[in-house]
Amino acid sequence: MPLAAFAETGHHVLVLFSNARLLPANIATEQSFRETLLSAAPNTEISTEFLDFPRFSGPDHVANLKAYVKRKYAERPPDVLVAAGGDALRFLHENQGEMFPAAPLVHIGVLTSQLDPRWDNRAVGVPIKIDAENTIEDALRLHPKVEQVLVITGSSPIDRSFEQQLRKDLERFVEKTKLQFLAGLPTKAVLQRLSELDERALVFTPGYFRDGEGRDSFPKETIDLMARAANAPIYVPFDTFLGTGVVGGRMASFHDVGNHGAKIVARVFARANAQELDLPPFMPTQLHVDWRQLARWDIDPSALPADTIEHFRQPGYWEEHYREVLIAFTIVAFQAALISLLLLERHRRHRTEAALQKNRFELAHASRLAIAGELTGSITHEISQPLGAILSNAAAGELMLQSGAHDTNALRDILQDIQRDDIRASQVMRRLRALLQKHEVDHAVIDLNEVLSEVADILRAEALRRNVALTVSLAQAPADIKGDRVQIQQVLINLVLNALDSVMEVAPVRRQIHVGLVLSDRTITVKVQDRGVGIPPENVTRVFDSFFTTKAEGIGLGLSIVRTIIEAHGGKIGVQNLQPHGAVFHIDLPRLEHKAPKERTAG
Amino acid sequence: MKPLIHVLEDDESVRKSLVRLLCAAGFETRAYISAGDFLLNPLPTQHGCILLDLNMPGPSGLDLQSALQRADYQLPIIFLTAHADISAVIRAMKAGAVDFLLKPVESEVLLEAIERALTRDLVQRNERLEENALLARFATLSPREKEVFKRIVAGKLNKQIADDLGIAERTVKAQRADVLTKLQATCVADLGRFAEQLARFEKPKAEQTYTKVKLATLNGGDAAAP
Repeated sequence: MPLAAFAETGHHVLVLFSNARLLPANIATEQSFRETLLSAAPNTEISTEFLDFPRFSGPDHVANLKAYVKRKYAERPPDVLVAAGGDALRFLHENQGEMFPAAPLVHIGVLTSQLDPRWDNRAVGVPIKIDAENTIEDALRLHPKVEQVLVITGSSPIDRSFEQQLRKDLERFVEKTKLQFLAGLPTKAVLQRLSELDERALVFTPGYFRDGEGRDSFPKETIDLMARAANAPIYVPFDTFLGTGVVGGRMASFHDVGNHGAKIVARVFARANAQELDLPPFMPTQLHVDWRQLARWDIDPSALPADTIEHFRQPGYWEEHYREVLIAFTIVAFQAALISLLLLERHRRHRTEAALQKNRFELAHASRLAIAGELTGSITHEISQPLGAILSNAAAGELMLQSGAHDTNALRDILQDIQRDDIRASQVMRRLRALLQKHEVDHAVIDLNEVLSEVADILRAEALRRNVALTVSLAQAPADIKGDRVQIQQVLINLVLNALDSVMEVAPVRRQIHVGLVLSDRTITVKVQDRGVGIPPENVTRVFDSFFTTKAEGIGLGLSIVRTIIEAHGGKIGVQNLQPHGAVFHIDLPRLEHKAPKERTAG
Repeated sequence: MKPLIHVLEDDESVRKSLVRLLCAAGFETRAYISAGDFLLNPLPTQHGCILLDLNMPGPSGLDLQSALQRADYQLPIIFLTAHADISAVIRAMKAGAVDFLLKPVESEVLLEAIERALTRDLVQRNERLEENALLARFATLSPREKEVFKRIVAGKLNKQIADDLGIAERTVKAQRADVLTKLQATCVADLGRFAEQLARFEKPKAEQTYTKVKLATLNGGDAAAP
């Protein structure tokens, strides 16, 4: 952006910092100064220079700086000059006339001790005070056992100026406690001394720029070393030292310094003079403490003044871990939602399964109806036989009565036979009804011998009709399983009907089917064996699949339903081809221990 | 002598009830539990009929029917079944069954069918007697007389026959009289009827079957004929 643009739109402020760019105090001050000034006067251009005292000093350094700044800002002279720190203020007092004589001068962050009484009044600003007096006052109250106060300073000119000021300010403590200055000692000696302290001592130090051996450092670095070495609480005058392990002290924060300075600059833009600004004599101080140090030095937090500013306060569980807590809470909530969802899902699945189960019933039922359709001939046969016998018997009886031959015994025989045949017919009906009715799956104890016998009655007629030899061999002992009579019958009928279809395709001599029960300890095996066409090897594994069929009119559900039923009974079904021809289906069902008939009927 | 009804039925209670009914109706009965059981005995010659169950263990009723037919055994058959498809009915009726009854069968229907079967049996027996008598009479003809007979029924005149056979017309006249006498015919028209009968006896079996089906249909197989 061309510099001319600034002339129209905003002021140019040049801030000269006394020392290095990375001095924590400078960083804090510059940041708040810049923020506040830009929010008050957005178009302001802020330039900064760091004069690097006290690392560099002497007339040459000052001359160089003067020439450098003057030339650098010749084309864009500052509207306001800001001296950040005592050395910068001194530099400007002495050299401003040769650089930018017209620019108003504001100072910030200058210690009261650095203000030279010989200077004129052109610089406005609020100095900061090293409030050692009140700091030590507070510290002594917080550490009632303390008998000795150590004050540590360095050897650079600024360090010496601190020392002088402190000696003056702390005069009154000399008598009250054992106040001792460690001024301009080598760092090693300082640290050694600090490590030997105990709870009866406390330390006050502004840090130092240069130690007794002439080694330069940032004060904060020295503070850092001291805080680590000391066996006593350390109090400091600047907030930038907080966090190194010091307890704290009464101070104006550099944030406030920058902030306050910016406000003054903004008012200087508005042509306010020093009187109108009505500035306080120095920046008000507050006790700043590092919360973590309170516990370390056994300080009672309730003893702290009400306006104490706590840094690094160990947050409460919620404060410290609110993220984790939130995350945990979120997770728990998420889990809860997930669980609800899963429960819902489970419920839905239950419903689906129930529906599926119902479908299976329907399918099994439909399959039984299909069986019934296939068995129509046999069923008709089974019912017509006794009905025919009844009719003939009744007619015979009538004829006997008409003929007048009252053979009572013969008539009684006839009536008995009629009853027997009637019962026989109704039994067929009942079995059929049981087979064809929709019913809930039962889990009764059933004897496979009985089940097979009943099925054989129905199937024998069908076999007869198709001219197939059907033989059935029952087990010698009760073959009890737990299950559903109708479904097991359905399975047997299905397998035998398949066998019937299979043998119809071969020569009459091979039209033989055998159904047998074989008992072992734990299982009952039902075998349905035929001498028919067998199953093509490639289909052996597929016959139980849904919709697999080789029959022209088959829908291919019979054997898949058979397998479903057997598996629902905890059993297995398999099929093998026989040599030289035919196939055998074998069903293994878990065998129940046989109980006495009484118990069974009771159950 | 009472007509003898043969009851072939594997179901015991049905068999028993049928036997009982037929006895009460005044018939003599004989019961068999299968086709094999029936065939174990010499084929009955007594006047009667067969009440045959369609579905039995072993050979079925239809199997027995065709076996008897092959043996040229003509006892009339009434089929009785609890369930039959149309093809079984057609097959049975074509093979000459008197009737095809469905169980449960009302006694009137059954007895009426049996009466019809018995009538059929009598007719067949008479036909067979006549047939046998005619054949016996025909057998008494000399070869020359048979040649003359053939030509008479073919409608040839005495002169034509004499020319055919290379004999005198007078001789033909004498032989014509002998033929009439030996065959116990009163006129030439009788000879024509005999010739028809003889021709029928000598026809192949297939054509005979056809004739019998027609007969069965005419005999009132209205209940079961397709």
